[in-house]
Amino acid sequence: MRQRIFVLTLLACAFIPLQAEVPSLVAIQDARIVTVSGAVIEKGTVVLKDGIIADVGPSAAVPAGAWVVDGKGLTVYPGLIDAFSTWGLPEAPVQVSAAGGRGAQASATPGQTAPPRSRGPEDRPGTNSWVMAADLVKNTERRVTLAHGGGFTTAVTFPRQGLVGGHGAVVNLGGETSGAMIVEPDAGLYMSTTPSGYLGYPNSLMGVLAYFRQLWIDANYYKMAKEMYAKSPQTIPRPAYDRALEGVLSTKRVLLPAAGPVQMERMVKLGKELQTSVVLWGVTEGYRMADELKKSGTPVVLNVKWPTRERDRDPDLIDTMKVLEHRDKAPTAPIVLAKAGVKFAVSSDGLDAPKDILKALKKSIDMGLPKEAAIRALTLSAAEIYGVDQRMGSIDKGKMANLVVVKGDLFDERLTIAMIFVDGVKYLPPPDPPQTPGGNAGGNRPSTVDQEEN
Amino acid sequence: MRSRGLLGIILAASVYAGANDTMLIRNATVHPVSGPKQENVSVLVVDGKIAEVGAKIATKGKIKIVEGKGLHVYPGMIDSGSPVGMSEISSVRETTDTGELGDFNPQLRALIAVNPESEHIPVVRANGITSVMVLPGSMGGRGGGGGSIISGQVSMIHLDGWTWEEMEIKRDAALQLVWPAIASRGRGATDDDLPPALAARRMTFAQAKRNQEEEVRKLKEFVEAARRYQKAKAGKEPGLKPDLKFEAMLPVLDGKRPIMVLASREREIREAVDWAERERLKIVLANVREPGKMTEELARKKIPVILGSPFTTPIDDDAAYDEPFTLAALLNKAGVKIAFASFGTQFARNLPYEAGQSVAFGLPYDEALKSVTLNAAEIWGVADQYGSIEPGKWADLVVTDGDLLEVKTNVKMMFIKGAPVDLESKHTKLYKKYLARP
Repeated sequence: MRQRIFVLTLLACAFIPLQAEVPSLVAIQDARIVTVSGAVIEKGTVVLKDGIIADVGPSAAVPAGAWVVDGKGLTVYPGLIDAFSTWGLPEAPVQVSAAGGRGAQASATPGQTAPPRSRGPEDRPGTNSWVMAADLVKNTERRVTLAHGGGFTTAVTFPRQGLVGGHGAVVNLGGETSGAMIVEPDAGLYMSTTPSGYLGYPNSLMGVLAYFRQLWIDANYYKMAKEMYAKSPQTIPRPAYDRALEGVLSTKRVLLPAAGPVQMERMVKLGKELQTSVVLWGVTEGYRMADELKKSGTPVVLNVKWPTRERDRDPDLIDTMKVLEHRDKAPTAPIVLAKAGVKFAVSSDGLDAPKDILKALKKSIDMGLPKEAAIRALTLSAAEIYGVDQRMGSIDKGKMANLVVVKGDLFDERLTIAMIFVDGVKYLPPPDPPQTPGGNAGGNRPSTVDQEEN
Repeated sequence: MRSRGLLGIILAASVYAGANDTMLIRNATVHPVSGPKQENVSVLVVDGKIAEVGAKIATKGKIKIVEGKGLHVYPGMIDSGSPVGMSEISSVRETTDTGELGDFNPQLRALIAVNPESEHIPVVRANGITSVMVLPGSMGGRGGGGGSIISGQVSMIHLDGWTWEEMEIKRDAALQLVWPAIASRGRGATDDDLPPALAARRMTFAQAKRNQEEEVRKLKEFVEAARRYQKAKAGKEPGLKPDLKFEAMLPVLDGKRPIMVLASREREIREAVDWAERERLKIVLANVREPGKMTEELARKKIPVILGSPFTTPIDDDAAYDEPFTLAALLNKAGVKIAFASFGTQFARNLPYEAGQSVAFGLPYDEALKSVTLNAAEIWGVADQYGSIEPGKWADLVVTDGDLLEVKTNVKMMFIKGAPVDLESKHTKLYKKYLARP
């Protein structure tokens, strides 16, 4: 008996080494607190208990037995959220049938290498609507800890293969198990309008949009058939289970791409047709669309990888005015959107290091973006877009204990993160990755260099 | 019967043999190109050659009279580069003879592949073009494969004849060379504009540059090998195996035959000019579109330039809309000798308007007229026989009801080596057919 207790204790220790380090009761005392939801508390205390913010305020009491962090010189922010990410997902593309398919039986069978070319909407091309990021996220994935280096505690991460990539999930970047990381298993359905490129139908934007319409028509018909069958299974034939349509029906919102005003208008219209709420991703020409976005009430996730001159390019090629204008104005998108009152969050899409998101926003701040707006985009706005603002996005009593504690300011030239808390668990930022010339840590993307450096 | 016999006797009695290529064009406005226009003069053509131009020409006996009142006489125009006769429908491989494989094919002759039955020939002719420099190869767009560096011998032909032998003016007028260009990526386009499958295939600049340097190296080696062959041949080296490729290079190496180098932009032009100077080769640049800072140097080095159609948009998005229209004037002002080419089949007929458009944008009129006649003849080494209306030259003549470079002008008659040429073409046939539609 005694021996058994000993074994159990050992097991418990083995499973929760992180919590063994830090008690479940933490108080950060005398720190500057940027609550986001309210005014900045110049000197106050945050109390974390069992992964939840138990108290916050200038005069919040430090409970007995708490692990106290001296907050002098430190600023506490809500944990940052990458609102359109792939962090936590395996970096190699998820193996799903490229042709998509109807029903569970259509999944890629082992040994079958080249999927047949799709010839029409009936083949459900590039449709992986049943794929759930929540099922694929791994707590051991490389970028989960790397993200801490940029102050990120949360990512809204999407499987992105095909035209309908699958359901994204709101994921906390750290957890005992992979499952423990999931905050919200359905953040929305990732969609792309870029055809695969000569791999079958659809091979044009026209075809893609027609396909989306058909997919939704099929899904609504399927829903109706199922409802009728449920009422009278004795008289109506049973409709075949279709995982692609189940995936479409179960989504709360769709994430549609829009670079500029034309795509934006098109996607907002599509969202109305499909009778689903829309979040636009990309929005690289956000500086040109503020009024229209405000009018349509569509939230956006900005790609903050500002365009730069390619390092490897023909020295005799002169950039066109159009390219130069875009390069010049792209970083003003957050300013313009904030001024117009458009709800926007930001994404790591295309950036190599998590810190680069902050650097990109710093550029916008230098051009006139209020710092509060930048922080809101990184926190509460993202939480609101995905409907998790009751649980995260600001430093308020009762919210998840996701915090980033910084020496000085989040947008300081050299960001120094003291610690971060994910679900109340303390993590130290990983050491900076060695700087490779060209900063091409992200794989085979073309290396870039800032315009000013040339 | 009797009268016909009588006619025969009269003709026999005249000095002129009564052949098809002897005539007097009377009372016309003549544009000799080599000199100022002359109004109300006549042109005497004897045995296909221009015998005399003047107000009063004394003919010896009976001669065919062509009434030229109210009409203009010009020398036939020369298109300085076109695949007419080599390519019927470019997208149908079987009708296209310009696609030989291999990097170096100087031994290929465009002339022998010319199809005299091409539907394009009468269409081009109908607008006053009597001669064409026929290109053996495609227009370039090299980099990563396709097309040759040296595509073969450009031949000058007449746009009339039953066989290619009859059409020949100069079978090896120039050597066609496409200067290798660095083909990394298109201007303006970004990877976002392409499907992922295509974007992945794009070359980096470094890679494209390496490829281009490799092609230039191959070209240098080929010329080097040709020189060794030339030396061995001159030295009557025993056991020297005749090689058609190197044989075809000999007149080029001697500087007797020009190389038509297709190079559009400043960088390629500079490389080609430097190369030609080092190798002591005679070059003519063709399809020049953005000579940039090389303009003055071309003038100084007396390198002629063949321009393609100005009816195109500028290469750079931000360039002035009229950049292609003003290019001819710019080169002419700098002192560069220019000629026009169509570099195509279906629009070769627009050659006079290429020059005409350039006049509207600053090219002096006389120079424009030369650029489609005498300049071309000079550049390709046939000015002793073609290009202007002067005694002793072949009577390649175009008779019009107005300015040759003007769109509204109609070509009324055409003569090649003094013989009248049919101006019917597929266009006129279709015009008549549909005009008569009930």
